[in-house]
Parts: sequence; structure tokens; C-alpha cells
Amino acid sequence: MMIAMPAIVMVIFGLALSGEVKNIPILVQNLDVGYEAQAGPGVSISVESGADLAEALQGDDSLRVVTGSYEDGVTGVDDGDYFAAVRIPADFSERLYRRMRGEDVDVVVDVYVDGTKPAIRASILGAVGDSLRSLGDGGGLEVAQVLAFGGAEYSGLDVSIPSVMGFVLTFLVLLISLIIINRETAMGTLQRLYTTPLTAFERLLGYVIALLVLGMMMSGVVLLVGVVFFQVTVRGSFTLLFISAFLYALTHVLLAVFLSNFARNELQAVQLAPIIALPSMALSGMLVPVNSLPDYIQPIARLVPLYYGNRVFEGVMLKGYGVGELSGDLLVISGMAAVFLILAAMTVKDRIDA
Amino acid sequence: MGDSSQVGLVIEAESLVKVYRQGGVRAVDGLNLRVRRGEIYAFIGANGSGKTTAINMMTGALAPTSGIIRVLGVEQPRNRHEVASLIGVAPQEYSLYQDLTVDENLEFFAGLNGVEQGLLGERAGELLDILNLRGRRRTPVSELSGGMKRRVSIACALIHDPEIVFFDEATVGVDPVLRQFFWGYFRSLAERGVTIVVTSHVMDEAERADRIGLMRAGRLIEEGTPSELKQRHGVNTVEEVFLKLSGGVTVDG
Repeated sequence: MMIAMPAIVMVIFGLALSGEVKNIPILVQNLDVGYEAQAGPGVSISVESGADLAEALQGDDSLRVVTGSYEDGVTGVDDGDYFAAVRIPADFSERLYRRMRGEDVDVVVDVYVDGTKPAIRASILGAVGDSLRSLGDGGGLEVAQVLAFGGAEYSGLDVSIPSVMGFVLTFLVLLISLIIINRETAMGTLQRLYTTPLTAFERLLGYVIALLVLGMMMSGVVLLVGVVFFQVTVRGSFTLLFISAFLYALTHVLLAVFLSNFARNELQAVQLAPIIALPSMALSGMLVPVNSLPDYIQPIARLVPLYYGNRVFEGVMLKGYGVGELSGDLLVISGMAAVFLILAAMTVKDRIDA
Repeated sequence: MGDSSQVGLVIEAESLVKVYRQGGVRAVDGLNLRVRRGEIYAFIGANGSGKTTAINMMTGALAPTSGIIRVLGVEQPRNRHEVASLIGVAPQEYSLYQDLTVDENLEFFAGLNGVEQGLLGERAGELLDILNLRGRRRTPVSELSGGMKRRVSIACALIHDPEIVFFDEATVGVDPVLRQFFWGYFRSLAERGVTIVVTSHVMDEAERADRIGLMRAGRLIEEGTPSELKQRHGVNTVEEVFLKLSGGVTVDG
């Protein structure tokens, strides 16, 4: 285990982080009607610069382009389906042509972009800018950026606090739960409990309730430090955030109770937490968006509770989502809690297992 | 509770076997045992002779590989919840919550065994007086000496006024004066009808029990009152009986 653990963690990180940011889902609407330009007497050429731009974006590896109406794209960004919506205006070809001829007109492309992921936002704006410049010499070409979620532009700390909260609740809850449960064996108290009228399921409930209180205290501290010392903003409801954190902590307490069956001593208990938490971090979208992971890893990432946890914490804290937008993710987390409860209840022991 | 309790038998083991899955060790190998109500029964044997394994099967903490074990007429561990509150156990390790105080440990185990809150204070006070722990009630267990922890462990085993008490190596690390005191206390419990099962590898302790079972390699190789055993083997001490039966091999500890 001591040798296997760093190897496993390294392999997962390596695979997960090997690619660059790619496949960022965006929506593009090309309203450009084209332009018939008089190149000389009796000679006209037809330009379709909007289509060229759309094609350039589609050819960009960092993006996964869907075409549709800009309004749908804006809704999609608000709902978290796309990271940006791009609108190429009707007079795009004409303006670009006139600009190339030296006229003083601006060529503007509208981009409605999710500002809660600075790295992704930079990739999108970079890709649109590059594609735009590939059509002309650069002067006067503009990307008009509108930030989603009420113009929220976040600092690196703002955007990392939700993930940190998810990670703390994953790592610390698992670690402390595993150590505490293991101490029952190490201190011999478990053996005494086996001789009391306490049933195995009652003992399981006792662990869950006590560890949940601990988990809530931890997430409270993370939030408090974030809000008080770093002025982190919570756009959505505190109540929803608290309920989500509660549900998320519960999932990991139940997972820890189940996993405690596999830790024979404190050393193993201490190693089990990172062996779950570190790959979770790599796969959850905390470091790179899940869309950018290799195709064969993406389905695995969707089994990681932290993936849903991050979506929920980000949703409430950065995007101001309510229960409506988050119901799907909260349902998945609840489902995982139910699965772990069943596994824990099936494996909790009523006597010495030997 | 079956017929057995009426004839005064509180523990009955028939052909009890425990083979540990890991390592396949045959820790208890065909144990037959009968213990009467109000009796002090001492398991004597070297380390690894199967004493603790036998006790764990009696308390319901460990399932036998084969054979039957009934405590207060109830089969263990299948129906252990029916009699659990009538059994008190002081395991070999202290088995206490180190971060909790003496009182908190007592309260916790009393609660699990269904002791009413009203009775708890009185019962705890009485036990702590007897075990000379009165002044330590609010001390975290981690700050106590080994002998004190041993006494707290015994108090936790007795807090719910059980009918049978198992003391696994209860007097390990206990000074001779305290050991003397423990046995006096055990005797007073037995006189009240409490059955006491102890394990020990200290032979002079065994002399104080009503009956002794000598264990070797998972088997009961000799059983009887101390005087019966000494007479049967023509020796003056239980230790000599033990040495004779183990072929001169000494017992550590």
C-alpha cells in the first residue's frame, strides 16, 4: 500500500492532467449575411467572413462548438451547459471588408462568457481572438465580452473556495472519520461495544451522527475563514450552501464508515483518505474541466462525488444557483449517499471478524 | 432463559472450537465447560493458550467456528442482544475512551446497557468509592496510571450490575496490594450471586478461585477446585500442578 499509493495517485494525475484545456463547450451563432464587394469596375467578389470565423472556431482543438441561437447560448451559459456564447453580427463581412480597405470601422464579435473559471475564460477569449485575427491584420478587431452571472468577475481565490470546500469535506471528513472509527479498534473500545446491547446498525448511526457534526464544523470553518479573512462572496443562499455541504459531508461520512472495514490499523486508515481524495481532486474538474480529460477517463470522473460537489458549491457560491438549477447534482449526491449507506450497513460488524 | 439457569448453570459450552481465518490457528479446540451461578471460575494458562478467545466467545464478541456456547440459557453470539445487558466485560486492554473522563466513560457504558439516569449517579459513586477512584471522576482516562485505568475498566464492566462478569487478565500490571483488594471485591460480588469468570497467567491468583480450568493449546486439560487439583497431583500449589501438566514448561508473565 505504501508503494502502491503514490504510484496510483501519480498515474491518475498524469492521465488526468496530461492534456491541455480542450473541448470547452461553447455555442456560436453566425448571423453574418456575407458581403458583395466591388473589387473594381464590373468586378465583384463575395465574402463570407462570418462563416470563415465560425469554421476557424470549429477547427480549434480547445473548443467544442455547437451552433444555435445566441439566446439559447446565453441561457446555456447561465445553466452551466456552455462556457460561452459567441455571436457573429449580420454585417460582420461588410465591416471586416471595409476595415481591410482602411476605413475606420470596428469589427465586433459578442461573447457572453462564464467568468467563474478564469483559465477557461482566458482560453475561450484567446481562441476567439486568434480566429478573428486569422481573418485580418488585427487592427480594430474586437471581442465584446459580457460576463455571465451578473457580470461576476472572480479572483483566483473566489473561484477556488468552492473547490477547496469540496476538497476539505472530502479529504478531512474521510481522514478524520477513518481515524476515529479505527481508534475504536486500537483502543479496544470496539471489543467492549460488541458485548453491550448496542446493535451494529445503532453503532453505525452513532458514527454517522457524530462525524456529521464534525464535518459541518469543518465546512463552517472553511466558509468562515473564506468570508471573514478573504471576503469571499456567496451569491446564492447560505441555507442552500449549508444543506448541500451537509449532504456532501454525509456522503463521505458514510463512505468512511464503509471504508473503515478495509483499514486494519491506523496507518492504513490514514492512507485510505488520500487514496480516495487525491484522485477525486484530479478527476473532479477542480484542476482541469472534466470535458478536457481524455475521453476514456470522463465516464470515471462522473462517478466521483467531488465532481458533483464542486458543481453544487460553485453553483451556489459563484453563480447564485438555486435548488432548481442544482437539483440534478444534489440528487446524484443523495443517490451516492444512499449507496454508501447500504454498503456501510451491509458490512458493519456486530462482533470480532476473525 | 432456558432450563439451565434454573439448575444454576449460567455458562455452558459444548465442543466449542475457534479456528481463526487468518493463519488458521486453532485457538480453542473442543472446549466443554459448565459454570454455576455465583461461582468464581479462573481460566489459567500460558499466553496463547486460548483463554481470551474462549472468553470472547462467551461474551458474544466472537463467533465460534463450531460447537455451542450458551450464556444465561441464550446461545451466543446469535442472540447476544438478549443477554448483553446482563453481562459485564473488562477486556484484556483497558478498552476505555481515553479522551473522556472517568465519569463520562461510566455514563456512556451505563447508557448503552440501559441504566436509568437516576440510578447512574448512585451506582457510579458506589463503584468509584470501592475502587478508590472517587477523586478522579473528572480526570480524562488518558491522564490516569495503568492501575487506575484497570480499575476504571472494571467499574465500566460493573456499572450496570450484571449477573455475569468476565475479567480478562484483570490484574495485569496491578500491584500486589491492589490485587489482594480486587480478589476481596470479587468474592463479595460472588456472595451476592454474581458469576465471575477471570483469566490469568498468575498462578497464585488461581488459588483464590472456586474452580480452576487449566488451558493449553486451546484445550481444557484439567479442571477442579484448587484443593482438588493439588490433591489429585500430590503437590502443594496450583503452580506446581500447572508445571507438571505442561511438562515443565514455565509460564511467562
